[in-house]
Order: sequence, then structure tokens, then C-alpha cells
Amino acid sequence: MGASFDIGYVFSFLPKLLDTLGVTLLIVAGSLLTGIVAGFLVALPRMYKIPVLRALSGVYLSFFRGTPILIQLFLFYYGLPELLKPLGFDLSRAPVMLFVILAYGLHTGAYAAEMIRASVEAVDRGQVEAAYAAGMTPYQALSRIVLPQALGIAVPVFSNLVIALLKDTSLAFTLGVMEMTGKAQTLGTLTQHFVETYIALALIYLVISFTLEKVLLAAERRLNRHEAREERVVRRFALGKRGSYRAALADIETGKGGGI
Amino acid sequence: MIELKNISKSFWRHEVLRNINLNVETGEVVVILGPSGSGKTTLLRCVNYLEKPAGGEIAVGDFRMDCARAKRGDVLRLRRKTAMVFQQYNLFRHKTALENVMEALLVVKKLPPKEARGRSVSLLEKVGLGDKLDAYPSRLSGGQQQRVGIARALALEPEVILFDEPTSALDPELVGEVLEVIRNIAREGITMIVVTHEMGFARDVANRVVFMDGGVVVEEGTPDEVFQRPREERTKQFLRRITPEANYSI
Amino acid sequence: MQLDISFIWTAFRQILGAIPTTLSITAVSVLVGFLIGAVTALARLYRVPVLSQVSSAYVTFIRGTPMLTHLLLIYFGLPMIIDGLAGHFGWSFRSASIPMIGFAYISFSITAGAYMSEVVRAGLLAVDKGQTEAAHSVGMTTPQALRRILFPQALAAALPNLSNSVIGMLHGSTLAFAVSVVDINAKAQIVASTNWKFFEAYLAAALIFWGLTVLIERSSAWIEKRIGAYNRGGVA
Repeated sequence: MGASFDIGYVFSFLPKLLDTLGVTLLIVAGSLLTGIVAGFLVALPRMYKIPVLRALSGVYLSFFRGTPILIQLFLFYYGLPELLKPLGFDLSRAPVMLFVILAYGLHTGAYAAEMIRASVEAVDRGQVEAAYAAGMTPYQALSRIVLPQALGIAVPVFSNLVIALLKDTSLAFTLGVMEMTGKAQTLGTLTQHFVETYIALALIYLVISFTLEKVLLAAERRLNRHEAREERVVRRFALGKRGSYRAALADIETGKGGGI
Repeated sequence: MIELKNISKSFWRHEVLRNINLNVETGEVVVILGPSGSGKTTLLRCVNYLEKPAGGEIAVGDFRMDCARAKRGDVLRLRRKTAMVFQQYNLFRHKTALENVMEALLVVKKLPPKEARGRSVSLLEKVGLGDKLDAYPSRLSGGQQQRVGIARALALEPEVILFDEPTSALDPELVGEVLEVIRNIAREGITMIVVTHEMGFARDVANRVVFMDGGVVVEEGTPDEVFQRPREERTKQFLRRITPEANYSI
Repeated sequence: MQLDISFIWTAFRQILGAIPTTLSITAVSVLVGFLIGAVTALARLYRVPVLSQVSSAYVTFIRGTPMLTHLLLIYFGLPMIIDGLAGHFGWSFRSASIPMIGFAYISFSITAGAYMSEVVRAGLLAVDKGQTEAAHSVGMTTPQALRRILFPQALAAALPNLSNSVIGMLHGSTLAFAVSVVDINAKAQIVASTNWKFFEAYLAAALIFWGLTVLIERSSAWIEKRIGAYNRGGVA
């Protein structure tokens, strides 16, 4: 099975894989945008308890969190053209990327919705009351007082969401999209140096995940700079490595426990 | 002046306020006393519509509104004529002491930043926090946070400031500094309605004491009248329980 | 092509046969993963020299890379190592005798271990330090305190997280198609391509996964309610 191990291949594969990094990042960015929009649309009826819409968003959440992303990819790819054909949309020639971004986007949306709802609800009720008591309108209270604080709370969850999405994009090749994992398979088959390709592939994912996590951690610190510094030190001391605890907490909050 | 007419309020089927009537003259300091669950905090929160009264009328200065038929604009106008100091301070956590005081001046009163800043600085100096302008609430003691809360309320130049148990969440040694600040602004003739358990403060500062129980005003009068010569049995019981020393002091 | 409702049912029945495979992959990876997770979490919490650094590196690597790369690395790398060692030491065992599903078991257990490590750690950290102190104060030994006081509370705290990890592994088991294991997803693919009805087949597979997920969620909520009874109405 395959040729004998040669570390040199790992280095020569890195630049070749990085050629397709753009495709991977395009899927991540496109899905993230779709996901955040979908997340708001789904979270709002749940937060404001709008009857029918709330039930619908409940079904959406349950389905997208209750089925594997791989199945969702196939469902969108094969199902969407069939469902939309009777409505007069012909998707038979639509680019695969459209289905990929839609599937990942709506999948991410289910987790984003919970992130948004949980973060807004985590802001103390007294903050809104104080804003109202000062004569602010509901919109002013939301935009100036609640959302800025919710943002700081949401960042660790968001960080987890983005990294989970990045890892999930490794499945897009199943629909024939030539992103990094797809490229790695081609390289492996071509050279028979599978282990080296996948080591190179794993290294790239690791570096991107790590960078994303650090950047978002810095953003979180900045957004939460108003919280007591002593508390942060105590927390870090008690919990050892803070980064992974954040991630664990993030899992708790969105329910994205495993992640592929 | 403030006028509350027939204010009523229920939570589910439990009547918390039953047709409360209360007038507060300009410059007057009214202290509301009563056991927990008597409806005193709810009444205070009704005055700026943080609780929606089921019925009645609220008048603040030249503005008058029918609670049952209040529109969004009415609620905003009412809130802009009143200010609230909360038991849990409720300072905006993501804003510094200075920004907390400036916030409403910028957003609600639409003052130019420079003017808002100047006014806020002098108010914070007045409550003794001139050296804490850029501190976030999480780095202030409870007493300091509450003093920022008072400065924030003063900044709005309201017709009345509502104090909801402003010292109840404080460590005992910090109560004094907050009461001192309230006492000072009371002397400046600012209209106040204060819900508190600090009897000494009530006796000292209040022009009038209102005793509530079971959602009604049981008795009201000058501190002397209510504390020394309570007429109602319920008032006497409450005072005996809350201030045993009242029996011996004079 | 038109949606064939009745074929969804046909596909559904055919795919049902693959459920045990999916469940066995999930169960093995969750159980072995929990063991790995417990060991690495304790090593990190108690700062065991070497082991804690290795554990941290392991968790960081696994959480930073896709589960599919773990599977592919094990699938291609493990035989290389085994056969290399076998040749060197003259063993008769060869990697060819490892069944395909074995690679899924091994690789997914390693994946699950890293996520479980975080679950166990968060659970243990969620228990108030005063609890252990109180246990010691009434004369319990450390093992007694761990077993009778700390672990039960940590388990209750970790349960929602644990349930999410189980669901994550259930969904992750669909990757087994990459090593030719016929789980629910692979079966759906077979049914789809032999009948040329892709949408219907994947819809059936989605319904099965949805049902299984809801089942896990419900059971977890039920267990949580039972073992977490002491927590009712509390802040924690």
C-alpha cells in the first residue's frame, strides 16, 4: 500500500496544497456569511417568541443539528434542483459551489442562531432597564448597550464555530469541489505517498485553526477589556490553559460537541 | 411635581398595587417604607414604566399620561423626565464611569460630546469620583459604582430621581458614603422618591415618610409623625420589628 | 425526474440494516474516547509531568484538524508502521488482516478522545472546590472524595456536553465511507446509485440520523433530570 515514507514529500506537497487554500477559505467565508444571516433570522423569532415562526425555526434547528453535514451536502446537491424545478428554477447548471456554500451556511446557521440567542440572553436584564430608565428607545438600548456586551460573550463560541466550519469543509470534495482535501487525495493517488500528503494537509489545517483561535482570543480580550482584570487572572490560574477551556465552554453553549 | 393617581398593578392574579395615590411636591424627599412584598419597589418602577401599571395616571411636571393607554412616545417622554438609581447599580458594564454618565447625554439629550463630557466630569467630581473617570465598573467598589449610578441619574436633570433600595446590595462599611451623597443632593432641592430600609437616613433626610403594606398606602406623614406617633397598628408592628431601638431612643 | 415518495420508504427499509454498523462505530469511539479523555484530562488537571504536555499536544492537534484527516492518516500510516515493525521483529502479523472497520474504530476513538478530554476537564472544573474540601473535612480520603463527591457531580455537569459529543461521533461516523465501511451513509449511497434516486435515499438516511439524534438528546435530558435532581432550582 503506497510507496515508502519520505519526509521530503511533506514539504513538497505543502505549496501544492496551499494553492487550493483559497477555495477552502472561500467556502468558509461564504458559509459564515450565510450562516450569520440565517442565524439572526432564526434566533429573532425565538427571542421575541413569535408564534408560528418560532416553531418553524425550532424544526430548522433540530434538523440541521440532528443530521450529519455529509448527508446535508448530498441532500442539497441532489434535492435542491428537484425541489425548485416545479417552481420554475433550473439549477441543473448551477455551480457546485452554490450548493456547498448553501449547505454549510444553513448548517452553520443552526449553531449561529443558538450562539446569538444565548449571548443576548446572557446580558444582565438590569442593563436594559438602566438604558430604558435613562430614556433610551428599545433600538438604542439594543444597539448601544446589549449588542456590544453580547458580542464579547459570543466571541469564544464564534471562534469554535469558525474552526468547526473550517474542518467540516474537508468534506466538500465529496461533491467534486477541488479544495484542500480533494487536492490532497489527487496528490496521494498520483504519487502513492498518501501518508505524506495527509500529514501536510493536517499541518495546514492545524496552523489555520491555531491562528484563527489566537486572533479571536485577542478580539475577545479586547471586547471584554471592561471586565475585571483580577478575575481574569484568577480564572486563568484556576483553569490552567485558558484557550481550551474557552473552547470547552463554547461547546457547552452551542452544542457543537464533536465536530468533524 | 409628581402625581400618581389610582395606580394599580397585578402579577398574574396577585394584586401588588391597589389604587395608589401619591403626590410629591417639587424639592420634596419622600421615603417609602414597608415590609418586603408590600409593593414599594413595584410602585417605584411603575413611575418610570419599568413595570407597566394596569391602570391609573402618572403626571410628572407638565406631562400627564394615562397608564392603560400609554403609547411608546409617552413612555419615552415619561422616562426622560425621571431617572432611576438601582439596587444592583446596573452600570453599563462595557463603559467607563465617565462614559456611563455621558451615555444618555449623548444619545438621549443629544448634547455635543464636549459639553456632555464637561458636565459628566463635574458630576463625577461632585460624587467624589473625579479620580475614577476612566475606570470600568468591574474595577470599582459597590459604593463607588452606586455613586456613579447617582451621577448618571443627575446628568439627565430629571424632575425626580427614583432610588430603589440604593444601599441594600452594599457591604455595611460602604453604605455611609452613598447615603452621604444622597443626603447632599437632597439638600440641593432635588425631588426624590426613595425606597430604603435605612431608618436613620429616612428620619434625617425625608420630608415625608410613606408606609406601604399589602399594595396600599397604610399611613403617611412627617418622619416625626410616622416614627414617633404611628397611628396604624401595622405601622407600629413594622417599626418594632425593623428598629427595636426606636422604642428606646427617645 | 420527480420526487418518488414511496421510494423513500423503500430506501428507508434497506438502510435500516446499516444502523448496527453506525451504532457500533459510535459506541466504540465514545467508550474508548471517554477512557482516553479521562486519562488525558486528569493528566492535564494534575499537571503530571510529560504526560500533561503530551496530552495537551494531542488535544490541540486533534481539535485543530478535520476528523477525516485522522482517519486517512491511520488508514495509510498504521499499516506502514505495523508492517515495518513486523518485518523488523519477524512477526507473522500483517496489517492486511486488520478489518476495514478496525481503522474506523481506532481513528474515531482517537478523535473522540480529544473532545472527551475537554468534556471531562470542563466537568471536573465545574465542581466547586469547596466540595472536595468539605469531603476532606469530614474525614474522607482523596479516593473517597473523588469517587463519592467529585465524580458524581462532575458527571452531572458534563452530561449535556457528553451528549453533544456522542451526537458528534454519531454524525462523524458517516466518514467511514472513506475506508469502504458500509454504514448508514454508505448504504444510502449504494441504494441511491443502484436505483438512480439520490435525493430519496439521502432523505431516508437523514430521517434515520435525525431520529437517532433526537433519541440521544431525549435520553440525555431524561438522565440529566434524574441524576441532576439535587441541582434543581439552583444557580449551578
